Amino acid sequence: MSEFFHQYFDFHYMGEHFWEVFEAFLQNLLIFAVVAVLALTWGLVLALLRQLPGKKFVPVRFVTIAYIDLFRAIPILIVILLISGGIPFLEFIPKDIRIPHWFGKPDPFWYGVAALMLVYGAFTAEVYRAGIEAVPGGQMEAARSLGMSHWQAMRHIVVPQAVTLIPAPMLNEMISLLKDSTLVSVIAFSESVLISRELLAESFNSSALLLTGVFFIVIILPLARVVDKLIARNQGKITRGSHIEVA
Amino acid sequence: MVEAMVSLQGIHKRFGELEVLKGVDIDVGRGEVVCILGPSGSGKSTLLRCVNLLEPPEEGEIFIEGHDICKGPGSGSGQESWELDFVRRRVGIVFQQFNLFPHKTVLQNVTLAQERVLDRSKQEARAKATELLERVGLSEKLSEYPARLSGGQQQRVAIARALAMDPHVMLFDEVTSALDPELVKEVLDVMRELAQEGMTMLVVTHEIGFAREVADKVVFMDGGVIVEQGKPADVLDNPREERTQKFLGLVLER
Repeated sequence: MSEFFHQYFDFHYMGEHFWEVFEAFLQNLLIFAVVAVLALTWGLVLALLRQLPGKKFVPVRFVTIAYIDLFRAIPILIVILLISGGIPFLEFIPKDIRIPHWFGKPDPFWYGVAALMLVYGAFTAEVYRAGIEAVPGGQMEAARSLGMSHWQAMRHIVVPQAVTLIPAPMLNEMISLLKDSTLVSVIAFSESVLISRELLAESFNSSALLLTGVFFIVIILPLARVVDKLIARNQGKITRGSHIEVA
Repeated sequence: MVEAMVSLQGIHKRFGELEVLKGVDIDVGRGEVVCILGPSGSGKSTLLRCVNLLEPPEEGEIFIEGHDICKGPGSGSGQESWELDFVRRRVGIVFQQFNLFPHKTVLQNVTLAQERVLDRSKQEARAKATELLERVGLSEKLSEYPARLSGGQQQRVAIARALAMDPHVMLFDEVTSALDPELVKEVLDVMRELAQEGMTMLVVTHEIGFAREVADKVVFMDGGVIVEQGKPADVLDNPREERTQKFLGLVLER
């Protein structure tokens, strides 16, 4: 039994490598922050393209839906490996772009960011879509009847209401994203899981990996409670039958 | 004969297999108030929504101030056409469910489209909105959100919102049907005043009293066609058709 504890709960070992693992964990938070901004934007663009009305936008809607379906179906790990194992060899792309070293970050960081953005853009697009479709159709009709264009109606009337309906499911996506930032370890970017595995390989001790897990739990557990609160708040609104209010 | 403000000719509208409008003709003269009555499912709301192309008709012609706004079947499906701009800037509509923007204040509800569509300055839009909201008796509610207002107040904001665009024609789609009985009068009063000022109005309603008093012409619809139309005194008090008699009997019995 003490062997078990020693393997996973070697506090001395954890203390010795705490800052090393912590700094690597900050890299996970950095990946998360960059991708969150990009994916939330990209997802909204996709959702808006998907909602374009009329016959002439059928091709746009088709391509958008195909994109969203494809990137929700393909495992992120495969996307990461395909990008990092393919893009660098496409010689028609300028070298600064196919092997990016922007803002002092190595190319695996950017390959990981790109892969996560492509996939999470598809997932967040579906969340936005749920919000947009939950706004009563009369809102679009009223806006259009006042002479607003489809874009004006989306921008001023529909989207501002839609985003107040979706914080809970969107936060869920963000929690997933934070955890999936560890997948970038497979292309040798030094984030927390990669560092912990190196420590494991070197010392045959899993405590660093467990410490990494604890970092994630400490960040995510409070967020999970926030999701619960948001859901309860929305439920309250629905049962009271009142309109959403935003300042 | 004065040129008709709105002229509907042979309007047909289908939803899949269901033919909701089977050839409807109505003329509305400048400054006229036309009330459309009929049982639910008779196609009267659909007809109204055809006039501002929320539901483009499949067949028939709609003239607004002499301009044909649907050039041939299916032309409205593009949704960004010249016709749409033309119509939406001349025709205002008020809905049964108000459809106020819940995330905007009363004032913003009335100024938003003025600024975005008519390019009015903030001051201009605000002045216009304040004047209209005063006219409908809501000058104290400018900074409230719609959820804080009663149904009658919300509907009056909706009327002010539509009027702010300086429409030449106003459409009213059962605007009192979702209101508590004691709130109906305040909305009808605003509409009555509007009619007296000479606004051209096309009103789908169940308020027989309002139609009798305000309408220049009453149209009774059933099953997607016009059963009879004429002066309120004729249609409402001496209906010729059996279906009209039956409907009025049921409504007036209440």
